[in-house]
Amino acid sequence: MDWWVWVILAVIVLVVLLALAVVVQRKRRRGRVIGLGGGGE
Amino acid sequence: MIPPSETSAILLRARELAGRPVVTLGGELEAEIKDVVFQSDGGRIAGFTLRNEGLFSRARKDALPWHAVHGVGRDAVMIRDAGQLVPAEEIAPKQAARKGNVLDDRVLTDSGRELGTVIDVVLQGGAGLGVVGYEIEASAALGTAGRRVFIPLPDTVAVSGENLIVPASAAEFVSEDLSGFGAAVDEFRTRLREGRDEGAQN
Repeated sequence: MDWWVWVILAVIVLVVLLALAVVVQRKRRRGRVIGLGGGGE
Repeated sequence: MIPPSETSAILLRARELAGRPVVTLGGELEAEIKDVVFQSDGGRIAGFTLRNEGLFSRARKDALPWHAVHGVGRDAVMIRDAGQLVPAEEIAPKQAARKGNVLDDRVLTDSGRELGTVIDVVLQGGAGLGVVGYEIEASAALGTAGRRVFIPLPDTVAVSGENLIVPASAAEFVSEDLSGFGAAVDEFRTRLREGRDEGAQN
């Protein structure tokens, strides 16, 4: 393959990884609501 | 603003607090709210875990206990000074925090009927901030399947595992908007107290 194909593939992989990281981080930043102690199922 | 010591009937969703900046009365930005932590027995807010600012910021090792909160405002949570923060383990021990998250949990009545899944937790200002209900995505059992509704909770909330148990009578007090939900909670809790009193007399 030509060198520029590798460059384009690398850019695509980087963009996908970045998008995934942002999605995961946004999900983490939603926060949790934690109930402690007492009760039971 | 909701001062911790003042009686107030303001209702808010717990997830609205996530990301809200924590600011000292001296004007310094300390952190952002990460998780809301409440006591299942009584539903009082125990405190908040914290994170630093920024999209890729990490959770902080300190946390904000409720007694250190000066007030919860629309745009920020005010504290007196940063010296009142405590280690995060004191507010939310790691293992309990992993198991205790109620978001996305199923809500079941004590008679075994599934009412829906938890989207958010409703808090009410008062002599402290307390949990008074869940916002759920209703199941077919409520006749409003797929819609978001509010369901009131008793004083003691059962939180453990993936199922949250509420009294069957809670389904009679479902509210479709937050503004009318405060009255539904009061009526529901009065009904439960009356039921307990009658049970004690018999």
